[in-house]
Amino acid sequence: MRVTTKEFIRGGRAIAPTLIGVIPFAVVFGFAMKNALFTGLQSSFFSLSLLAGASQLAAVQLYASETPAFIIVLTAVIINLRYSMYSLSIQPVLRDKPYMLRLFASFIITDQSYAFTMAEYEKNPGNHFLPSFFMGASILIVISWEAGILLGYNLGAVIPATHFLDFVIPLIFMSLLIPHLGGRDRQVASITGGLSSVILVPLLPLQLGLLAAIIIGIGSGIAFSMIQEQREGIKA
Amino acid sequence: MSFYIIFGTVALSCLVVKGLFLCFIPAKRLPSFFEKTLRYIPGSALSALIAPAIIYTKAGGDFTVSFSRTLAGGLAFIVAMRSQNIFITIFSGLAMLWAFSWIMTS
Repeated sequence: MRVTTKEFIRGGRAIAPTLIGVIPFAVVFGFAMKNALFTGLQSSFFSLSLLAGASQLAAVQLYASETPAFIIVLTAVIINLRYSMYSLSIQPVLRDKPYMLRLFASFIITDQSYAFTMAEYEKNPGNHFLPSFFMGASILIVISWEAGILLGYNLGAVIPATHFLDFVIPLIFMSLLIPHLGGRDRQVASITGGLSSVILVPLLPLQLGLLAAIIIGIGSGIAFSMIQEQREGIKA
Repeated sequence: MSFYIIFGTVALSCLVVKGLFLCFIPAKRLPSFFEKTLRYIPGSALSALIAPAIIYTKAGGDFTVSFSRTLAGGLAFIVAMRSQNIFITIFSGLAMLWAFSWIMTS
């Protein structure tokens, strides 16, 4: 077997345990699209044109509540901004590859494949076959994601929509939120973002309250960390 | 038609973000302000999406506070923290909402 093939398979194997989280998320996403009355073509278009779990789910949720386009796009972009950081930090692995391959990598990269590839890079930065590892890991996630969506969409056609379904999306977001609560400053940002959202969403039209709340949350996190730094500066 | 324009724009702009420094802008490191901002985005954005979706129901365009949803959501959050498992969080959250709504309507 060629080394590239071996590394490709190794990447897939490494990432396999995370499918336990990916597949249910995908099923709910498919279900949510069916519930938001997306046609099969529309769902296929959206699930194949972008791979960005949380921001896609948010876009569907916002579209279903008749949010104007620019807020849907802005919210999706903000939730996705962390990927720009990945694109910077994964540079040493993919830098020397042709442009089209890097573009494809940008399309298929996920939180999981990024994290596992970088862990591998830490262990052995001299491994020239890491791009194959990355591809194997990413592609397994992509296939499972799309399969899960297909399953969820078709389940959505069988199981009648209940008013409970709109409760599933926040539940998914909750389990995605937990890992981001490390550190006082981030807890402050999250609590402020959540509280402002509860106040502003009913007050402002067009889901502008959501956008405002996200920005207030981020701002309060930054402010808190600056105050923290200053205090530590005084102590020292 | 507008569907494809909206979601096409979402897809394209997110692709630009995903490949920002790998394909579109040459950079060696992040501007420090941007780095700080990134640290708070997931928490703030997810909480802002979660909180109103848990607390309110939107019957006929009006936001009304739902006690059963708020209670089930709050408890599900504790479950999410303890279990760190997406499956357990979804099922326990739905089960609690179902139970609380049943208790309150009967």
